[in-house]
Amino acid sequence: MELQAANQSVKILQNISFEVFTNEVVAIVGPSGSGKSTLLGLLAGLDRPTQGSIRINQTDITTLTETEMAHFRRKHIGYVFQAFHLLPTLTALENVVLPLELQGISTGTLRAKALLQSVGLEHRLHHYPVQLSGGEQQRVALARAFIVRPPLLLADEPTGNLDSSTGAMVIDLLWELHQQHGSTLILVTHDMSLAARAQRILALRDGVMVNETRPPLLSSGSEA
Amino acid sequence: MTPVSVKLAWREIHSAWSRFLFLFFCIALGVGAIVAVDLFAVNVEQVILGDTRALLGGDVELSWRRAISDKGRTVLDSLTDRDIILSHVTEIAAMATVDSPHSQTASQLVELKAIDSAYPLYGQLVVEPDLPNAQLLDPLQSGCGRSPCFGALVQESLLIRLNLIVGSELQIGKASFLITAVLKKEPDRVANGFSLGPRVIISRDALKATTLIQTGTRIQERYRLSLSDSTSLEPLMGELRGRLSQEGARVSSFRDAQPRLRRFLDQLNLYLGLIGFTVLLVGGIGVACTIQGFLTQKIPIIATLKTLGADSSQIIRLYLTQSLILGGIGSLLGVIVGVILHRGLPLLLQGIIPETMPLNPTVAPVLRGIFLGTLATLAFSLWPLLAIRHVSPALVYRQAVDHSQDMANSQSRLTRWRTILKRWWNDRAQVMVSISMMVGVTGLAMWQAHSLTLGLFFSGACAIAVLLLLGGTGALYRILGHLQIPQWYLLPHAVKNLQRPGNFTKAMTLAIGIGVMLMTTLTIVQRSLLDLIGNQIPSQAPSFFFIDIQPDQYPQFVDVLQQKFPDSPYKLVPVVRSRLTAINGQPIDPEEHKGQRNGWYFTREYALTTSQDLPKDNVLTQGQWWDHTKESDPDGTPGKPLDFPLVSVEEDAAKNLGLTLGSTLTLDIQGVPIVTKVGSLRQVDWGSFSMNFFMILQPGSFDGAPFTYIATTRVPTNHEVPLQQAIVAVMPNVTAINVGDVLENIGRIFHQLALGIQALALLCLVTGAVVMVAAISINRYRRLHELAIVKALGASRRLLVFSLGVEFGVIGAFAGLVGLGLGCLLSWSLLYFFFDLTWNFDLIVLSTGLLLTILLSLMTGFLGTYRLLGFPPLSVLRQE
Repeated sequence: MELQAANQSVKILQNISFEVFTNEVVAIVGPSGSGKSTLLGLLAGLDRPTQGSIRINQTDITTLTETEMAHFRRKHIGYVFQAFHLLPTLTALENVVLPLELQGISTGTLRAKALLQSVGLEHRLHHYPVQLSGGEQQRVALARAFIVRPPLLLADEPTGNLDSSTGAMVIDLLWELHQQHGSTLILVTHDMSLAARAQRILALRDGVMVNETRPPLLSSGSEA
Repeated sequence: MTPVSVKLAWREIHSAWSRFLFLFFCIALGVGAIVAVDLFAVNVEQVILGDTRALLGGDVELSWRRAISDKGRTVLDSLTDRDIILSHVTEIAAMATVDSPHSQTASQLVELKAIDSAYPLYGQLVVEPDLPNAQLLDPLQSGCGRSPCFGALVQESLLIRLNLIVGSELQIGKASFLITAVLKKEPDRVANGFSLGPRVIISRDALKATTLIQTGTRIQERYRLSLSDSTSLEPLMGELRGRLSQEGARVSSFRDAQPRLRRFLDQLNLYLGLIGFTVLLVGGIGVACTIQGFLTQKIPIIATLKTLGADSSQIIRLYLTQSLILGGIGSLLGVIVGVILHRGLPLLLQGIIPETMPLNPTVAPVLRGIFLGTLATLAFSLWPLLAIRHVSPALVYRQAVDHSQDMANSQSRLTRWRTILKRWWNDRAQVMVSISMMVGVTGLAMWQAHSLTLGLFFSGACAIAVLLLLGGTGALYRILGHLQIPQWYLLPHAVKNLQRPGNFTKAMTLAIGIGVMLMTTLTIVQRSLLDLIGNQIPSQAPSFFFIDIQPDQYPQFVDVLQQKFPDSPYKLVPVVRSRLTAINGQPIDPEEHKGQRNGWYFTREYALTTSQDLPKDNVLTQGQWWDHTKESDPDGTPGKPLDFPLVSVEEDAAKNLGLTLGSTLTLDIQGVPIVTKVGSLRQVDWGSFSMNFFMILQPGSFDGAPFTYIATTRVPTNHEVPLQQAIVAVMPNVTAINVGDVLENIGRIFHQLALGIQALALLCLVTGAVVMVAAISINRYRRLHELAIVKALGASRRLLVFSLGVEFGVIGAFAGLVGLGLGCLLSWSLLYFFFDLTWNFDLIVLSTGLLLTILLSLMTGFLGTYRLLGFPPLSVLRQE
């Protein structure tokens, strides 16, 4: 993956190759600027690699056009951001319903309500993002990511903007939803204790994969 | 569109409506201009088409420019047997005089109209006091100093000019009148703008008593017919045209009532409509700027939507819905603006448009305005909205990098343009939108102009103006780039600010430049025309025209002039009125030439004169002037007997009539045909204001025909009234036309017309200013941030005001210079091609225009930024 800046190209990622299995939880770790978020963005089809291919369920997403990629993303990929990225002009419920509506499904309100209930926000359905705390906003974002039942869920530093206790609660919810929906979860974090909950850890430095480890299995309860 | 998406669109508008305020204004002004003009056009239509029978004065009108012939009389008599009601009206210009016991006799040129008891066949004559016509016009036995005395209905302007009241007496010709009522409304007269003088209505008996109608008098005889239900119009029209074809009659039906007025108002509405459309297009620039600025702020949201799986077309649809809602609201506001302007337009056009015009808003123009406003919003927002496709979803985690500057630095200008064009051409959607926009604007222009050619011409002119404005601005930028800007205060900063990407400088220049261009064009054209009317009259031009001088009055007329005004030069020429009936033996069918461009050369009435010598101001271009010492053919065969009298024709008329040397013309002089042969062609300087003629015949050509004399004379201003009175006192049938009065009247009408057109052009400039405020307000946050940093670094408020002043002043100067340049070009083309006038460099107009534009730009700029200057820098920087 290369980026053009000030007349010269910068290699962000190179020689990266790995496989993730269905239902697996993979954590990508590394210092700031190592290319973690870019790698996640490539997996979501938000960026295009300069070379190489990315296959998700037999589909090489690097060959898709922009529109095909958008359609693929809306059905197969859920994304949770560090900065939540809720639409400020929509309520919590409307934010959650939006991905379904983008697919032309207009009957998602009940399902959205249930999801918001499962993240403990049944009393915040009609609040706007500015009326919600950071933790609540990230929980809405979780509900939004899961509403389309995506086979692949990507989370980019989901606790990066939260205090530790709220962060832990959000992570528990993320795991819970992942288990409930059976999604594959790829997580970017620089929090090693969070990474340790994954089945596999990919370590990046300066755009190169330097290590792939399998942490000892820990129960989610003991980490919380 | 799904409910949440619509909600999203609506909520975004709701949460940031103040950002769209200027978009509303831009659209509202454009739609307002169009709705106002359309409503005005509909009202005009209502008046003209509403009661066309009243306007014509009947179902059918037969009119003659001379007394009716015997055959014509027979035809009319035959009609009365067929259950057709007839009304006879005579119109003539005459002098009304008043004897004042204290001062000299006062006289005034009036438009006299004699009516019969059947008048009006349709509509109503409104007079005050409201009494029956018969009672008001009947010969009165008492109350009048002289007998017989008739009643007269006069327009109020006559009472004012001659200082009279109802009950006063006046003299017209040899008859005495008592003013019995004030004339408020004539059903068969729409606008009073183009009259020679106030209207006076009298009875037919009274007209006879004036003895004004003598052989060759300039007269208009109108016979109006009211048909019974059983008579169908078309067969009767056909029959009358056939029976009267040789009688010089004009046969018209109520369906083509007031053709000249209708054509004039149609043209007026057309030009006003096109200016209104220009206002909308300028407003469109504001829409494009606002949408582009809005989208720049919405990039994070667009990127988020894309990560959620929304494709570009869905997001474009979402924001397009938003734009259309905004355009719709703006258009609704525009309807309100339009209705208000519509009320104001008749005030500006007073005297030109029908006095009794209704001011009812109608549905169709309102709907059309909303439709056009929404469509303009669509056209102008689609272009910036296409940029949504290039927003990368990766922006959710990475900042955008602007590569345009890199490209600018690394490539030569040619390569850069090539790259831009190639990228543009490869982007099919962009190409499609560009083509649709061009086709759309052209289509709308055609719709607005009701003409394919004019619409195409307008769009072409628009495109050229836009290209020249943008090109001119670019050239000025480059000049500025090469200039050494002194490091004086924040001067280089202010100049650099103009060229920064996303600063909309070109859009602002374009919006204001178009307004300046329109205003400059109109001002220059108006000044040139007014100059022609007012200032460019040659010093030798006559000050008076006297018409209808009978041959036996010739010596008397000359006597009065020589005795009382011995120093005044005068000229008398014999004149007969005629119509062209055939060219080279081929009869002319007036119907065939009706509505044709320059068709009036075939249908008009020609005043003919005879002259031994070529008139002073005329230049012979072809053929030879007749040698009155020997009779010869222009072919030059001496001694050959003269077959036909020779005629010398004005060269434009000859060109339009298709005449060459040797062509024969058949002219109908008061029912008597004479055949003439073209002996020469002449160039005439119409601007000399002397007596000039399209056709001059060889002396003796109309001997025996009922001719009169026309006289011109030039007297000092203080002798004008005594001269008029002296002539009218001795020859009451002679009509005196004061050239100054006529020109003043034309000047007034023209001025009024220019006022209406300029008001709309001014609206274009105002819209340009709104676009500028809109463009400035889009960047207000960035500007606020910059101002805060510069303030924190120690810049005083005065320095900042200076810096902003330079920036806005330069924009104003750019827009002014380019707009004025284009205005000069456009006015030159109009004056050269349409008015046949020379364009004069008018330093005062141009420098005032430039100064005013800079002032407008400064005022608008500060209006958009003055609040930013007051913010404390810390509070702004803390929000970072």
